[in-house]
Amino acid sequence: MNAHEHLENVDRDGWFVKAAATMGDLGNPFYLEERQRDVWNEASAVGLQLVLWLGLGTAAAMVWLGGTPALPYAFAVFVVLSAAPGVSLLYAHKLGVHADDAGRVLRLRLVPYVVLLVLFFVGVVRAAPSGVFGAGFTWGAAVGGVVALLSLVRGGLRARRREQRGKV
Amino acid sequence: MGRTSARGRRNAVRVARTALGMTQADLAREVGVTRQTVIAVEAGDYAPSVYLALAIAGHLGGTVEQLFGEELDADRPGLSNNQKASL
Repeated sequence: MNAHEHLENVDRDGWFVKAAATMGDLGNPFYLEERQRDVWNEASAVGLQLVLWLGLGTAAAMVWLGGTPALPYAFAVFVVLSAAPGVSLLYAHKLGVHADDAGRVLRLRLVPYVVLLVLFFVGVVRAAPSGVFGAGFTWGAAVGGVVALLSLVRGGLRARRREQRGKV
Repeated sequence: MGRTSARGRRNAVRVARTALGMTQADLAREVGVTRQTVIAVEAGDYAPSVYLALAIAGHLGGTVEQLFGEELDADRPGLSNNQKASL
């Protein structure tokens, strides 16, 4: 899909974008001043990245230090944490900006996130309860996480290859 | 450096504004932004949107190309004599 097709699919009037704009208070007069808006957007990106770092680190530390009793809380942190970039990516996607394609995903700065994610999932498996249901759930979540991670890397590699073919 | 930065690009906003005897606060009020934004634009720390650039150019009596084009010389057509003298 090229940039032109992205713009044709902009969904500014959809319920999700409207709800997200309300949640983000995007109608605030503060956003009318363009430099304030731009700087605040940058500041929000910094805040989002920081929350991801701290949240992933916290979730990983919880499963390693707290063991099995900490698993539900660590998963809760992880799910809440996943919502932030998820909503951001979806909002951007709805408005025709695909932050998760074009090989942008695969950058060196992704490495610390991958390390923290691997630490988290290894910690989850290590702290997995012995009961059938709990163990199954934990293993399922861990395998799902690894599959999602591999899909992310695979998607990034494919996008990068597409981009390189386009440059030739 | 943030994405809003225009560092490395020169502009003639300060020259054109002072030539007209306007303060940064005057220009900010006229184009509907904060004084800090005018300061950032003049310093090359912020690349204004095309609409803000048009508003600034309109209020300073020039064109966007004259104010934000890379070449800033006194022979550029379109600038008033006062503005040329200030360059």
